[in-house]
Amino acid sequence: MGHRHAPNRRQFLQTAGAAIAAPYIITSSALGNSEVPPASDRIVMGGIGIGSQGSNDQGDFLKRADVQYIAVSDVRKSVREKCKARIDGHYKNTDCTTYNDFRELLARPDIDAVHIATPDHWHAIVMIEACRNGKDVYCQKPETRTLREGPLMIDAARRYSRVASGGSQRVLEDYRQIVNRCWSGELGPIKSINVNVGPLSQQCNLPAEPQPDDIDWDMWLGPAPWAPYNSKRCSGGYGLNGNTWRSYVDYSSGGMTDWGAHHFGGATFAIDVREMQPEEVAYHEDGNYLTYRYPNGVLLTHNKPNTRNLAVEGTPDEKREPKPVPTYKGQGGIHGDFIECVKTREKPFRDIELAVNTAAVCHLGVIAYELKRTLKWDAAKQEFPGDEEANRYLDRARREPWQL
Amino acid sequence: MLDQAFETLKTYDWGTDRKPLEEIDGAVIASYSDKAARKDLENRLAAVLKADVSRDSKDFVCRKLMIIGTADSVPTLSSLLSDKDLAHMARFALERNPSPEAAKALRDALPKLNGSLKVGIISSLGVRRDAESVPALAKLVADSDPAVARAAAFALGDIRSENAAKALSDAKPSSAEVKSAITDARLFCAGGLLAEGKKAEAIAIFKAYVGEENPKHVRLAATKGMLAGAGKN
Repeated sequence: MGHRHAPNRRQFLQTAGAAIAAPYIITSSALGNSEVPPASDRIVMGGIGIGSQGSNDQGDFLKRADVQYIAVSDVRKSVREKCKARIDGHYKNTDCTTYNDFRELLARPDIDAVHIATPDHWHAIVMIEACRNGKDVYCQKPETRTLREGPLMIDAARRYSRVASGGSQRVLEDYRQIVNRCWSGELGPIKSINVNVGPLSQQCNLPAEPQPDDIDWDMWLGPAPWAPYNSKRCSGGYGLNGNTWRSYVDYSSGGMTDWGAHHFGGATFAIDVREMQPEEVAYHEDGNYLTYRYPNGVLLTHNKPNTRNLAVEGTPDEKREPKPVPTYKGQGGIHGDFIECVKTREKPFRDIELAVNTAAVCHLGVIAYELKRTLKWDAAKQEFPGDEEANRYLDRARREPWQL
Repeated sequence: MLDQAFETLKTYDWGTDRKPLEEIDGAVIASYSDKAARKDLENRLAAVLKADVSRDSKDFVCRKLMIIGTADSVPTLSSLLSDKDLAHMARFALERNPSPEAAKALRDALPKLNGSLKVGIISSLGVRRDAESVPALAKLVADSDPAVARAAAFALGDIRSENAAKALSDAKPSSAEVKSAITDARLFCAGGLLAEGKKAEAIAIFKAYVGEENPKHVRLAATKGMLAGAGKN
């Protein structure tokens, strides 16, 4: 793995060395030891958007001896400073470089991979730009903000042969019992599964507050519609009660995509439809719930009255051949799976295509609830066939100068 | 109640109560099968855009016109495309409006704008995959503003037609950043051409990027594309 990147890194060091006309000292850290691989064999990483979840991801990558974490991008100065102190403290050096603009980080030829944990409205732009710059990507969930973004993210990853992992660790780790029962054949062919999650996000009309110097507000908003600064609008808390960006439609689809990425991801994994997208989502006015139908006839309900989360209806009297349950590669959970795949060039457990399929379920549901009617979905064409109104919801115009 | 909601728009602003506007939210969705009601709503909403109301009121209106806008609201929306505060929300409505008039309004705005506002229009034309804008976008790839040139390259990539691919092939990048955008857009187009069975056209593009002078991931994309074109993957 290290050899794949050695020329780039060498070129980078040569350039930097010439520029500062100073000797390059090979440190013991660079040479490695019995527990730490030499620098040339480590995956060089950077992180983009380091709020609460990004900080957790960063901690997991920092713990790894096969990762050298060297750069951070965030639109908050205090976050950049905190990250630098953490990373430099971890490595006992002063090497970590910080950036307000993620594009500067992505332009560095010495970085192999990045993890992205910005608010959702930024994911696609950053992820695609990372692929264009030859980086492997670990992107937090929900990976997309709109349906149109998903195929473009997959295309960018495939075009440049990038390893691209989505970010829900819960898909494999939280629902093992039901996954094992389904995949073992114990429940026979599966008829349906139910997911309870929510709510949808809301429109934001918070008043303007004085804008702190700490944040680059225009950059935080990025492709989202302009709005005045308000601390609740950009708070990275996990609540959905109006005090966080996750509550608001311009940045998130709320619980439907936030926890939805976990629950729908686990449900579609359990019933083995994670490689496809539904062909219909039926809106039930009576009870205000949804039924998705997959091309293989399996049903997925959302918030079905009097039905618990991940309740499965199978046909135990009928035979279903057991299948081995896919799992992570390498060691260290979903982050270890990603790093292992960066080394081997295999697809990670939460490959971007599977993650996009889950996000699509979430978005289709949001649109059906918004329009309060049943929708047909053509997954191959990525459109609502003959439904001019629903097709308007495929994407949201990005604020200039941002585009995918 | 609906009248009251429209009355609210006269004083609506960030920090005021949004609840009264839920009447309009509901009416927009409920009018799905009532063309006359929807037309009436569209006209009333477009009229708000001409009134002396807050930016937030106009923001709200554009969001509703994103859902129900037709050719009728295009002239009002397009008059906002040169307004730096409102241009994005005008595009928010126009980009998703399927009428040919919406596409024409965006094309017509292109030569009148510069900088970020021009980039926004270019982006929307790309998202719409507007084939008629290819000649204009082809010229803009050579624009002296690298942000405009890059946006035009990506938009041609989005359009992903044979004409768009040709325009990108003919483009002479003025800087490294424009060159990288053209490369990405060409590779994206080539993937589309391959999917349509136009192997020779696709391979010609991939072949341009297999040389050592290209970054490794670009060479990888090109080689992979050529193998796919030759039916070897």
